[in-house]
Amino acid sequence: MLRYIIRRILVAIPLLFGISLLTFVLIQITPGNFFDSLKLDPQISADTISRYEKLYHLDRPLLEQYFHWLRNLLKFDFGYSFFYNCPVSQVISGRLYNTFILSLASLLLTWLVAIPLGVWAAVNRGRGIDKILSFLSFAGLSVPSFFLAIILLYFASEGKILPLGGMQSINYDGLTQTEKMVDLLRHLAIPTIVISVGSIAALQRIMRGSMLETLRQQYVLAARARGLPEHRVVYVHTLRNAINPLVTIFGYHFSDLLSGAALIEIICSWPGLGSVMLTAVRAKDLYLVMASMLMGGILLLLGNLLADILLAWVDPRIRYE
Amino acid sequence: MAMTSDPKSFNAIIAKETSTTAVTNLIFEGLTRINGVTLKVEPNLAERWEVSSDGLVWTFFLRPDVRWVDGHPFSADDVVFTFNDLIYNDNIPTSSRDAFTVDGKIFKVEKIDDLTVRFTLPVRFAPFSLGMSQEILPKHKLAQAVGEGRFNFTWGIDASPEEIVGTGPYKLKSYLPGQRIIFERNPSYWRKSEKGEQLPFISKIIYVIVQNQDTMLLKFLEGELDYCALRGADYPLLKPEEKKRNFTIYDSGPDFGNTFLVLNQNPGVNPKTGQPFVEPKKLAWFTNVEFRRAIAYAIDKDRIVKILMNDLGYPQDSAMSPSSGFFYNPKVAKYDYDLAQGRMILEKAGFRDRNGDGIIEDPKGQRIEFNLYTNSGSNERVQAAAIIRHDLEGLGMKVNFLALEFNNLVTKLVSTFDWDAAMMGLTGGIEPHFGKNVWASDGQLHMWCPLQESPHTPWEKRIDEIFNAAVQELDENKRKILYDEWQAIVARELPVIHTVLGANIYAVRNKFENLKPTSYGGAFHNLEEIRVKKEYR
Repeated sequence: MLRYIIRRILVAIPLLFGISLLTFVLIQITPGNFFDSLKLDPQISADTISRYEKLYHLDRPLLEQYFHWLRNLLKFDFGYSFFYNCPVSQVISGRLYNTFILSLASLLLTWLVAIPLGVWAAVNRGRGIDKILSFLSFAGLSVPSFFLAIILLYFASEGKILPLGGMQSINYDGLTQTEKMVDLLRHLAIPTIVISVGSIAALQRIMRGSMLETLRQQYVLAARARGLPEHRVVYVHTLRNAINPLVTIFGYHFSDLLSGAALIEIICSWPGLGSVMLTAVRAKDLYLVMASMLMGGILLLLGNLLADILLAWVDPRIRYE
Repeated sequence: MAMTSDPKSFNAIIAKETSTTAVTNLIFEGLTRINGVTLKVEPNLAERWEVSSDGLVWTFFLRPDVRWVDGHPFSADDVVFTFNDLIYNDNIPTSSRDAFTVDGKIFKVEKIDDLTVRFTLPVRFAPFSLGMSQEILPKHKLAQAVGEGRFNFTWGIDASPEEIVGTGPYKLKSYLPGQRIIFERNPSYWRKSEKGEQLPFISKIIYVIVQNQDTMLLKFLEGELDYCALRGADYPLLKPEEKKRNFTIYDSGPDFGNTFLVLNQNPGVNPKTGQPFVEPKKLAWFTNVEFRRAIAYAIDKDRIVKILMNDLGYPQDSAMSPSSGFFYNPKVAKYDYDLAQGRMILEKAGFRDRNGDGIIEDPKGQRIEFNLYTNSGSNERVQAAAIIRHDLEGLGMKVNFLALEFNNLVTKLVSTFDWDAAMMGLTGGIEPHFGKNVWASDGQLHMWCPLQESPHTPWEKRIDEIFNAAVQELDENKRKILYDEWQAIVARELPVIHTVLGANIYAVRNKFENLKPTSYGGAFHNLEEIRVKKEYR
């Protein structure tokens, strides 16, 4: 197993190298660069713009820029953000935690709600509860998340139950530790629900399908024939086999942990990474984009690895050698 | 208060975009400042100044009672440092340098004594006192960073708040990226009210960063925010709530800058491919002033204002915004919507539909068809361009409209020159000279035909002369006559066809005294004099 993991990690290195080179070249060959926005300011001369470009080495050949960046990366220096005039690591670190909290909350909510619901629907297949869940999951899948966010924010403003976006109340600094916790949870509620609704709906359907398929297997019949109690049949034997495809999906979800949900972050004023990255891509803030791509790439590879390991753990039939 | 995006730095020399200056304006000050109501230059850190009779030597006398917020006295050294070591430093990229450079020559800045600074200019430069609103930064805090070559990344958003030292009415208390910025009053601020009270009155200001305008409106309605800038489209939603939610909407008049349609008149040839930048037949149309005049008549500005801005916008006729006060010339040729007039002008110039397909042809029988670009970032502009395209179809022109990504469009406009028509916007202010890069024929932003070695047309030559003469003229009234002529020429020759300017609208909770919202300064330009009413304290 350990050898397998090491091999996977080694394979990941050239892959990441490829991702970074491709991203770098793709951003650079599109027309213009970050400082183009200055070119339309009548008060800024071409001279000043070339000074900016020189400061960030944008006047150097493409490959030279790339290897310069790569060399610094090995020293854990991600370069400077043009937009924020400070190291990329500074821009990211402040927001990493915020995005992580939001993603973790929605990940937990999604999985803790979707799996039981999927099992419940499968066990009660064709009955009223299954139909209601079916309807809800299709509704959840079809409502656009930004729309849901605005609706929820509107009700929050009318009902004055939950705060309107943001991550902390304005008087946050003056609160006690417990109050801070409650404040944070209240702010988390709307964005977490919005992000989770779609994935709960999708995951619930997948879980239900997988469960139904497993329930038709002969070993389930055999287990029932031998008089095992129904709850053991369903929750121990069937569930453990039915959850395999979901573990793989979990690997993909894991890579979303830090990339965040830019749109929801913007609507709910959540100070996360997603919105920063979106602006970075649009403004062509080169090194910030590079850092985010790299992070996304690493998490995706890590997520897949994690999923494969988990798979081996839940399913003894899978062995990596 | 709300702002839509994070500041990019606290370094007033390096970062200049609006979300940064909204923050640095509270912390730093210049030798002069511009009164937000009268738009006149007033003394600030300098209590008075003198100009030599030839207009080349300006002597500024600094206030003796100013201290940096950390207690260090403010002196001429700081002014000299800001200019000689920062703005004129070759290793520091800053657009301030462009404001203090004339014909490629920089100004000489010297300290006479602790409270006197002398500027010697290479040539007369009329907008000088206005430009002196340039923020002064503290030498004692930054000299070391400059010496070590670290200045470009000093006072970034990662800096600790106590490090950011200014002379302004407020100091930075804390900054949480993506969430809020908190300012506290500077207790030792030098300015006193007329009654001798210590300013500023408001002790704490919080900027809440809300990226989404709809969320911002909800927060404002709910009462979390006391101020928010509005779009024309928000007006019908908020107006009925004014009484109930205790706020007032101020329409402070047209925005600054220009939004216009521009046609490519560049006769040049792409050196790489040998192809002309603009097809010769199109060049012939675009350089024909009657063609441009017909287009000007066909653009239904009132409809754009009505549909896109809920009537909170203004048709633009002159190259200066009506809000810019003194230099604005209202008496220029106006092109109110008149499609019949536009058609008649085209007909007279030989453009008519000869084969009955609904599309007009030029005198040589070639179909009038061209591409119109705009940048995709601004929804309002894309919609305005779509309306204009519809209007041009009313003239019988076939217009292919495409919204390009911003960088892509800028590249076309300033370096590859392969475009036909574009709908664009530029920022502007109260000083016409700062638009020279657009209007002078050798300017890089002279979009219809940039970087001319010598002016191609007599009217472009005249505009060059006006800008060169006016910048040297220290008599404001004589300058106005010159700039009035420039605006008249632009409206007559239509190198750019102006469209509409949005209104600057602010919604403010009714809890402040002494509010004087203006388009130039915003709702809080006199922040230090604004008080919270007794009942809200």
